[in-house]
Amino acid sequence: MRRLVQFWRRSGAMIRRDVDAELAFHIDARTEALVGTGVPPDEARARALREFGDLEDARRYLRRVDADIEHRQRRRDYVSELRQDLAYGLRTLRRAPTFTITAVLTIALGVGANTAIFSVVHGVVFKPLPFPAPEQLVRIWSANPGSDARRTPVSPPDLDDWRAQRTQFTDIGGYWFADGGSGVDLTGSGDPQRLSVAFVTAGFFPALGARAEVGRLPRDDEMVRGGDDRVVVLSHGFWRRQFGADSSLVTRTVTLNGQPYRVVGVLGPAMRLPSDRVEAFIPYSTIPDESIPYIRPVRVLDVVARMKEGVTLAQARLEMNTITQRLSEQYPANANWSEATVMPLADAITGDVRRGLVALLGAVGFVLLLSCVNVASLLLARSSVREREVALRLSLGATRGRIVRQMITESLLLAAIGGTVGVAGAVYGSRALVALAAGQLPRTSEITLDGTVLFFALGATLVTGVLFGLAPAVRAAGTDLQSSLREAGRGLVSGGSQRLRTGLVVTEVALAVVLIVGAGLMTRSFIQLLRVDLGFRPERLLAVNFTINTGRHEGSSYRMFYRQVIDRVRAVPGLTSVGAVKHAPFRGNGERQSFVPQGMTIGPGEQPPTAAFIHVSDGYFATIGARVLQGREYNDQDGALRAPTPGALPVFSGTPTVVVNRTLADRWFPGGSAVGKSLRIGGDFDVPIIGVIADIRQTSIEEPVQPTVYINNMMNSRVQVTLVARTQGEPLAMAGAVRDAIWSLDREQTITSIFTFDQLVSEAVARPRLLTVLLGLFGASGLLLGAVGLYGVLAYLVSSRQREIGVRIALGASRSSVLAIVVRRGLLMAGTGTLIGVLAAFSLTRYLRDVLFGVEPNDLFTFAVVAASMIAVAGLASAVPARRAASVDPVIAFRSD
Amino acid sequence: MDRGAMELLQGTLDVLVLRTLAWQPMHGYGVSRWIRERTQGTLEIEDAPLYKALHRLEKAGCVHAEWGISDNNRRARYYRLTTAGRQRLRAEESAWRRYAAAVFRVLEPA
Repeated sequence: MRRLVQFWRRSGAMIRRDVDAELAFHIDARTEALVGTGVPPDEARARALREFGDLEDARRYLRRVDADIEHRQRRRDYVSELRQDLAYGLRTLRRAPTFTITAVLTIALGVGANTAIFSVVHGVVFKPLPFPAPEQLVRIWSANPGSDARRTPVSPPDLDDWRAQRTQFTDIGGYWFADGGSGVDLTGSGDPQRLSVAFVTAGFFPALGARAEVGRLPRDDEMVRGGDDRVVVLSHGFWRRQFGADSSLVTRTVTLNGQPYRVVGVLGPAMRLPSDRVEAFIPYSTIPDESIPYIRPVRVLDVVARMKEGVTLAQARLEMNTITQRLSEQYPANANWSEATVMPLADAITGDVRRGLVALLGAVGFVLLLSCVNVASLLLARSSVREREVALRLSLGATRGRIVRQMITESLLLAAIGGTVGVAGAVYGSRALVALAAGQLPRTSEITLDGTVLFFALGATLVTGVLFGLAPAVRAAGTDLQSSLREAGRGLVSGGSQRLRTGLVVTEVALAVVLIVGAGLMTRSFIQLLRVDLGFRPERLLAVNFTINTGRHEGSSYRMFYRQVIDRVRAVPGLTSVGAVKHAPFRGNGERQSFVPQGMTIGPGEQPPTAAFIHVSDGYFATIGARVLQGREYNDQDGALRAPTPGALPVFSGTPTVVVNRTLADRWFPGGSAVGKSLRIGGDFDVPIIGVIADIRQTSIEEPVQPTVYINNMMNSRVQVTLVARTQGEPLAMAGAVRDAIWSLDREQTITSIFTFDQLVSEAVARPRLLTVLLGLFGASGLLLGAVGLYGVLAYLVSSRQREIGVRIALGASRSSVLAIVVRRGLLMAGTGTLIGVLAAFSLTRYLRDVLFGVEPNDLFTFAVVAASMIAVAGLASAVPARRAASVDPVIAFRSD
Repeated sequence: MDRGAMELLQGTLDVLVLRTLAWQPMHGYGVSRWIRERTQGTLEIEDAPLYKALHRLEKAGCVHAEWGISDNNRRARYYRLTTAGRQRLRAEESAWRRYAAAVFRVLEPA
């Protein structure tokens, strides 16, 4: 039923009155009728009441029913009004397609960008870790307060002592995992392959509260040396990929490094610690002493622990420090390791990306604000046009509240359409973000558009709609009937509207400036990063990473295998140069060891200096394009192997030598005097320095280069090998040939990974690139929105003041002076906005400090460039309406409406 | 049921009210008089359930109520059948006729 006339709705009191009146009428009418037949009045009334039945019960019932009717009717009115408003709103939007599309796209940009960024931040930072009571989980490191090494992994004996002496922790456990570094060979199950493995100690699974999805987790007695520790737990992903999610696997054995291991369980898909690249978990106890000795100075384990319920971080820290202090007094090897660092696990995981992401979230919030302001100013422009319509409706009896509701409904409708488009875009946006991050974000698998994210999007949309709808709605409500009916006909603009629009444009410009400053700083920082001298030339460098199986190449024969592999690969056509290193740049930091430079004496109680020790082959530096500053790098004669007796295994027979990097040489042998001097390594070997290499960025591009000693791998070998080859053509095209050359020596040799140095560099800059691209996009949208807003206001101003401009021209104003008036007006707005924006940015950019490299948050150059570009763009945006103003025909001044 | 006046079967009152209003819009008292006259006292109908039925029917959208002026110049609440009310009356009437016919077939030996 469609109501054309709005009925007056009844209040509760009115309903009561109506019911009383209806009942009174009945009793009176019946009494009168009875009196009319001769019944005495008193008796007549009594009879009427008797005939009626329970009057009070009826009264209560009628009131209740009527209240229900009223309530339902009200709701129905509301719904029907809403439907009317929506239909009306849709019609209005359809009639102004340019406005609608601009507004929808602007909102979509704001909501979409925010949803995409929020989905990433939510997944990476805010979402609780997928373990029970995640707030009780902490990471613990060994700390050496003297050398400021606050976060060092923990030695297995220390961990055992921590675990034994704990009182505030449910459990403590550790793992050793190195992406691409820790693994075992799986054979007898299809092609031999290298599994990425986390070696875990007893206490690791209980501390996390992890559960097996199939089977069980290892018991403590299965995770100790000498115990029945050949057990393996598979990750959910690997179990599905390799074994097709076969549950019967849990009773079988698999061959790892040539040994049988019982598969005891499979973890759930949510288990992503230490990394979602882990394929299997194996007891740390299976690592033999020859590989990683079980001694205190070997600090290899990352440690997680669960605090008992109610235990605070401070209490946990106190206990860890107490135990660690005790151990440092007890064991000489721990003398300087007297403290422990305890940090919530969630913070430890997201640690260094948190700042960047939160900065992004802040920036994208500005984008949303900016799109709100932009749409508000669009709506305001329209509402001036619609003033006559509003006035007409007011004069036809619509209440102001009703009109405000209509306006808000329209705004929300607009917001809903824009929000929907935005969320659809965000689906692709968040995927693109993850791709752009190139594996440099933790927990990316938790990034989804789930309920929380959609709720956020809905909230953002609603807030947007109300924010940008409020100004025009309030204005509409305040429409002065008389004046707008009069003025609207004459095309004059009320002063209030113009002031509000100017204010909005200034706000827009200010917001845009903040965004562009962020983008500018990030871009400068990124350029600085790309300018860093890496110390090597990454183009056309292929890397093949593998681990030599010491079981198959016993004793020192793996050194021979290493030699043979390099020689065989050097024979592959299409490669210009081949070398090898334990860890490619950005894939490992080398081993931290102490050394004594020649001429230095270490007093009692003093610590010798330390350096990163990296194992390389001959020709490695030439291959990667590193510069030899002094002396030479290793050649194939430095690593001569000779069998001491015929038939025996060959051993290193050359003279031990080392190559160092420039940082070490400059620090300990200033003035270029390093070559010819020696380093005392391993306590009593004086090893001569034969060469100095220009610094190579090994840890990351941002961090300063560590003093580094390059060890000849033939002298002191490591089983981890990254073969590096400079190719003539496309590097990855040569991967097959290199692999085949390795397999021609040993078909069972597994390959851990194949990559190019270009990929390494690309990954190393992935996080700053992500930030730069995103902040750049935000800055660009800011600039665009600001310019569009400015243009809109000026264009409107010009078109609504044509007559005034015409008069000026008719009175002899030159066209250039008219042009100047409009441009000046535009520049004034832009200048004010820029000033405010610069001030705001000045106080906000410090939140970017942690993600900036080589540029200060208040970099004057960036601020100046941004301010200048904003003004320049504003000038351009003003030029178009200004030219239109200058070309106004003065005849218009004399035309009448 | 040995008395002259019978108690009303449940749901019957609604039909009677709808039927009554089908003639013309009436106030509650009018409906009460009209049914009383038509049944000649066979049915014992109190006014309380009658008013409850009227308001219930209003809630169901079968009747529409409006204040008007009665014959003796007093404000009275007038009830008018709506389209939905008319449909309901038709449906209930035919159901009643079928029901009554079935009962008669059992009561009257063939």
